[in-house]
Amino acid sequence: MIFSTLEHILTHISFSVVSIVITIHFLTLFLLVDEVVGLYDSSEKGMIVTFFCITGLLVTRWIYSGHFPLSDLYESLIFLSWGFSLIHMVYYFKKRKNDLSAITAPSVIFTQGFATSGLLTKMHQSAILAPALQSQWLMMHVSMMVLGYAALLCGSLLSVALLVITFRKAIKIIGKNNNLLNQSFSFGEIQYMNERSNVLLNTYFLSSKNFYRYQLTQQLDRWSYRIISLGFIFLTIGILSGAVWANEAWGSYWNWDPKETWAFITWTVFAIYLHTRTNKNLEGVNSALVASMGFLIIWICYFGVNLLGIGLHSYGSFTLTSN
Amino acid sequence: METLLNPSKTPKLFASKTHLFKSSLLHSIFNPQPHTLFNRRPLSVTITCKVKTSQGPKNDGKNISKKILLSDSAPELSNGEVKGKPTNGVGAWGLVTKLPKRVLAVLSNLPLAIGEMFTVAGLMVLGTAIDQGEAPEFYFQQYPEENPVLGFFTWRWVLTLGLDHMFSSPIFLGTLVLLATSLMACTYTTQIPLVKVARRWSFLQSADAIRKQEFSEALPRASVKDLGVVLMGAGYEVIFSSSCYVFLKGPSLYAFKGLAGRFAPIGVHLAMLLIMAGGTLSATGSFRGSVTVPQGLNFVMGDVLGPTGFLSTPTEAFNTEVHVNRFYMDYYDSGEVSQFHTDLSLFDLNGKEVTRKTLSVNDPLRYGGITIYQTDWSFSALQILKDDEGPFNLAMAPLKVNGDKKLYGTFLPVGDTDSPNVKGISMLARDLQSIVLYDQQGKFAGMRRPNSKLPIEIDGTKIIIVDAIGSSGLDLKTDPGVPTVYAGFGALMLTTCISYLSHAQIWALQDGTTVIVGGKTNRAKAEFPDEMNCLLDRVPEIVESCITKQPDSIGG
Repeated sequence: MIFSTLEHILTHISFSVVSIVITIHFLTLFLLVDEVVGLYDSSEKGMIVTFFCITGLLVTRWIYSGHFPLSDLYESLIFLSWGFSLIHMVYYFKKRKNDLSAITAPSVIFTQGFATSGLLTKMHQSAILAPALQSQWLMMHVSMMVLGYAALLCGSLLSVALLVITFRKAIKIIGKNNNLLNQSFSFGEIQYMNERSNVLLNTYFLSSKNFYRYQLTQQLDRWSYRIISLGFIFLTIGILSGAVWANEAWGSYWNWDPKETWAFITWTVFAIYLHTRTNKNLEGVNSALVASMGFLIIWICYFGVNLLGIGLHSYGSFTLTSN
Repeated sequence: METLLNPSKTPKLFASKTHLFKSSLLHSIFNPQPHTLFNRRPLSVTITCKVKTSQGPKNDGKNISKKILLSDSAPELSNGEVKGKPTNGVGAWGLVTKLPKRVLAVLSNLPLAIGEMFTVAGLMVLGTAIDQGEAPEFYFQQYPEENPVLGFFTWRWVLTLGLDHMFSSPIFLGTLVLLATSLMACTYTTQIPLVKVARRWSFLQSADAIRKQEFSEALPRASVKDLGVVLMGAGYEVIFSSSCYVFLKGPSLYAFKGLAGRFAPIGVHLAMLLIMAGGTLSATGSFRGSVTVPQGLNFVMGDVLGPTGFLSTPTEAFNTEVHVNRFYMDYYDSGEVSQFHTDLSLFDLNGKEVTRKTLSVNDPLRYGGITIYQTDWSFSALQILKDDEGPFNLAMAPLKVNGDKKLYGTFLPVGDTDSPNVKGISMLARDLQSIVLYDQQGKFAGMRRPNSKLPIEIDGTKIIIVDAIGSSGLDLKTDPGVPTVYAGFGALMLTTCISYLSHAQIWALQDGTTVIVGGKTNRAKAEFPDEMNCLLDRVPEIVESCITKQPDSIGG
């Protein structure tokens, strides 16, 4: 009993803290407060608190149920949100800045929100493992896959951001949310203005705004490449360990199961992304387009296949029931 | 020729002139000096000079006027760089050079490879969207000609293109073969020369060339040797050289790190080719079969296994007889199945038991290249005593139910068995643990467990459930491609990890008391400036006018 209350408490704490962090970010956007340093610190501490809460949640579930907390859709969603906050922590400790929090914090909150929402209440209890899942491979295969998804999603969101910034003028004409876009990207530009002023001495630029936008897109491009490369490694290890596990459990390392096939499709699309970056002509916008496609494909692979509920991977399937 | 200067001595103008003459040889052998730096391999390296162009054998006829450009992208095939030339040490590729160079050039085109990858992905999407392996009537129904999907897609498309068995259809396999040839062509023409270029050590001799790098800095009052020490501490391989400039410039430095990251993509391609080869072997040379064996019966492996392709040849182990000694299941406290086990004995042709093992899911039996997996279970028969007569074996039949829960049932007729409306006692079970009994009207009569041996009275008949006999669902397989595929998997995992490393190159030049540093990297472009700034902060600043190092002031 104590474990489930602990789980509840931790879930609620992490959810609320992340909401507060996002609210702080929106406040700084719209009010354009100059003294953002104090708020930065508190939003950073908020993300750290969230990370520890989700870690605690997963550990509690592990101890309580006796198996690694990755056996159904609810647990894998919590693990995904943990993956996002982990990426954020690693980036923060390397660079001492939370540039990525615009991407990772909303991702954490959306995945957690969906997991804890009324759609999946049936799965909140720790369930027992089916015979086929009682294996040491469970830990390696599923955790690598979910971490790979987290990193790839993060990287492709950065590419989507790059595309939005590059085509902002086109969007202005069509879209109605001009102010929102203007302010969210001037926020990024203010950040870079503070830190890149010494580069002015060495480069040409037509106008300050164009220059900072160029710097921003270049940074987004490079970080997106790095994060996607890391996610690609995790995805490769996940797919291959899944194949070896399948050989041990089901008799064959590749069965063209829908989930396996879609994981392979995701792998292929991100391999295309990595190859477009080897050629200078295709770098930049083209590779960002491929990464954005990858974003959709990951969601189909992770969610869409489970909705069908068929095939050998039916452990993660669920039916949307409205309570 | 003494190429390693001790930077504490002031180089003299005359000495550098002599050096200039000598270095017009354009070849120098590095002799590792114990007090300066760590140099693992004494290679002959070409040093570029402003005065003369370098003509070493490794340059393949390139004319370099200022510096050697290490390009990030593949060298363009059109400007006559290294392509298709037979290389010395790699004899196996000699066969490939006989192919027309145009075919090779076409195949190793990057947009073609990207297009092929997109095609493979698109075909796989189609393969998941269209139900695979159904009878033709299914496709007549799903994609009718009268009402085509998307306006044009009918069953004719599906059956002629082989989309109903997409993953073994000629169109898919053909694209994969094309992708494999592109992989081989690209590795040979593009990646191997790129690695040779990257391995070359080069020195930039002019301050302008260094300043033009992606990252460049000038450190006043510093010494190149200190920079070299800092870089070595950070894991770089550092090479010093003397200048061959006409004007006094001082020593220069070339450092690099992460060269393995340039080799790794070749490894990735080779690993993929290995996996494809192993997969082909699996598809054409393996045997598969599945069987449901009631407890206590046996079967011969060769009867069950069927070939999958034209390379399948049976082995001696196929004559082994498999006997199911016992099949049992474990349950959780909630009643759900936790695991199923089969106790198997294998007998050879002479009837001698060769091995005995208890299988379960995730724990297969391996013998003679054949693997037996526990994949399923079934209910074979229910053994009962009726009115203390028997025991009778009633065969259990699977009943259709939604979801993947199983349900089995049997029927014990009571009374006149010849009449058409024979009534009886029905017994249903979800697993081997508990049997539910219903009377002649179909009303629930009771539940019994087989080991309890408790009788139940239904409509005057006394029933005792003696035993529930299960049958084990086993899958058998022999696959010659598995070792190859596993080797490919391991290689792919390893090389993908290594290709994350970024190849960073740093050049530095001592210009009076200032050190000019420039560097670039191929992958970690986002992190490189910060890393470089951290390293440069650690280079000590020389306060006094003489060049001897002052350890008490650290710049930054």
